[in-house]
This record gives sequence, structure tokens and C-alpha cells, in this order.
Amino acid sequence: MSVSWKYIAVSAVAMLILAGTAMAHKVSLFAYVEAGKVYTESYFSDGRPVAGGKVKVYDSSKNLLLEGVTDKEGLFSFDIPKIDDLTIELDATMGHKNSYKIKKAEVEAGK
Amino acid sequence: MRAVHLYISMLFFVMITLCAVPALAHFGTVIPSDDIVSQDDSKTLSIEIKFTHPLEMHYMEMVKPKQFGVVHDGNKQDLLSTLKEAKGKGADQDRTFTFWKADYKIRRPGDYTFFVEPTPYWEPAEDVFIVHYTKVCVNALGLEEMWDQPLGLETEIVPLTRPYGLWTNNLFTGQVLLKGKPVPFAEVEVEYLNESPGNPAVVHPPADAYITQVVKADANGIFSYAMPRAGWWGFAALNEADWKLKHKNEEKGVEIGAVFWVRTRDMK
Repeated sequence: MSVSWKYIAVSAVAMLILAGTAMAHKVSLFAYVEAGKVYTESYFSDGRPVAGGKVKVYDSSKNLLLEGVTDKEGLFSFDIPKIDDLTIELDATMGHKNSYKIKKAEVEAGK
Repeated sequence: MRAVHLYISMLFFVMITLCAVPALAHFGTVIPSDDIVSQDDSKTLSIEIKFTHPLEMHYMEMVKPKQFGVVHDGNKQDLLSTLKEAKGKGADQDRTFTFWKADYKIRRPGDYTFFVEPTPYWEPAEDVFIVHYTKVCVNALGLEEMWDQPLGLETEIVPLTRPYGLWTNNLFTGQVLLKGKPVPFAEVEVEYLNESPGNPAVVHPPADAYITQVVKADANGIFSYAMPRAGWWGFAALNEADWKLKHKNEEKGVEIGAVFWVRTRDMK
């Protein structure tokens, strides 16, 4: 009996620690346009890359243009899908989300 | 008897003169338009570089700094050529003084630590030159790296509290370094920038001791201070340089200051 209580206590503590770590590391996505391509970088606040994050790209009317997955370095790039305001969404594991907007002018400048 | 009188009156004169000086705390003042750049913010920071008494809002003349730059992701960039001369004055000053302005475009996520090494300032009232190595850190786009790294300046404050995203009343902790080594029991002067954007009312100190707050570091050069108001706070750790500078062919001491600026905001 006492053993199982100990087990529960340990798991509770472990869960708290894990939950704490996840909470403390907010994810972000940064993107820029260069030579006809859009480059995205996904990272945790401490600089670790977000690997295997799902990336979705929307136009100004919220139509999904394309999607992809970040590599080990947190990178994902694609050809300019449309000259428009682009919203790039990152969906990392554990329900962490963030997005980044690139203005039409910036897309145009990077053609 | 007369000699004794003369001696006593001279002693009084010297004491009065000495007492009059310490109320004025000089601060290298480097204030960016924001301490955090989010994706919807303008990516261009405007930075003002001054030499002031921050609480009293007094400007002092500042010639072009020796060094102005930024460190991002371990890379140092010289920004000296981007400086533009400007004039300004405090509300109760009757002339204008030179300060410096620069615009800087943020291109990537991460921490940007701006630093200034001014040209030595001759202070006749204290019979010393003053050189304040001044830093401020701006975070961009959620990547929080490198704010805790020293830049390798002659003297500097290295933050132990992340130096952005601070609430009013947060404790700011930093370490004072001189030639890369901690300064035991360093004296750190703290002032509120009365010119802070969003300051609802100018702060009037009830006594001179309120103008400059003073804390001492511990044996490892580590100090802390809780900042009681929203706005910009300056921390200046002062040391005497082991080198001299010439003023009119006479060797003079140099006060070297390590200055760091942080911004607080009210919780609401």
C-alpha cells in the first residue's frame, strides 16, 4: 500500500516537472522571404529547434495554401505560393502554437 | 589664535564643498524605443544615447561616443556610423545639450545587447574623467538567448535577471565585472528615468537621498534592487580605473561605470 502511494507521489511530481518544462518553453516561428523562397525557423524560447512541427501557410482570405513539417533544425522552406499577406502557423507537439505574418510587400520584395 | 580660526573656517569650506557634490549621479543613458519586439511591432528600433541625471532630467553635453554597437547571437556589429546628433534639455535647464540617436532594424529573432563606450567626460566638480560603459538588451520575436552573456567590456553589469519583460516591483539582479572579474562589494547607484515614456507624473524626490538609490554588491559582485515604478531603471556600478587620462597636461583619475538599463511595466 505504502509503495503504491510512493509511486503515485513520484509520478505526480514527475508530471508537474514535465508540465512545468513544457509551459516554460514557448514556441515561436520566424519567417523571411529571399530569392523566391519563404524560409521559416521554429524554435523554443531557449533556442532549441522545434523538430517535427506542423507548419500551415494561409493567404489573406484564410485559405490554406500549403503545409509541411519542420526538420531537425526546426527549418521548413517553400517557394512563394502567392503574392499576398501570408500567415504561417506552427503547431508543435504538446499543443504549442504560434504564428507569424509576412506582409504582401515583403513577399513581393523577396520574389 | 587667528591661524586656528582660519584653519577651522577653511575646514568648513572644504566640508561644505565635499557635501555638495555627491547628490549628482551621472548616468550613461541608452534607451531604445522598446525592450521587446513582437511580430506586430515595428522592426525598427530608435535608440537615444545621452549622458544625464535621470531622475532630475538633466542633460549633459555628450560628444560622439568612442564605440556604439550591438551584439546578437555572439556577433558584434559596429553601429557608430549610424549615430545622428540631436539636441535636448531638461525642463529646468536653460540651454540645450548634445545627445545621439540611431535607428536599428531588427532582422532576426534573439537578444540584441546594445552597448556604448563614451568619449571620456571631464567633470571639473569631481576632478575626474567619467566613462560609463552602458548596455541595454532588447528581445526580438520570442527567442531568449544570450542576454546573460558578458560582452567583454572594460567594466560591465551582467544581468542575472532576464533584463526584459519585467513587472513593476520585480527584483533586478546583476553581477558587476571589471576586466571580466567580479567586483566584491561594488557600489551600485540606481535611478529612475523620469523621462520614461508613459510616466504619468514626474517624480519629485522628498529628499536628495531619494534621487539616487544605493545598493552594495556581495562578495561575488552580485547586487539586487526591486524597482517600484513602471518605466526605465538605470544601474551604475562605479569603479576607479587603474589608468589615468590627461587634462591640461595633468594626470587625472578616471571613474569607470558599468551601466545597465531595464524597463518595467505595471501588471494590469
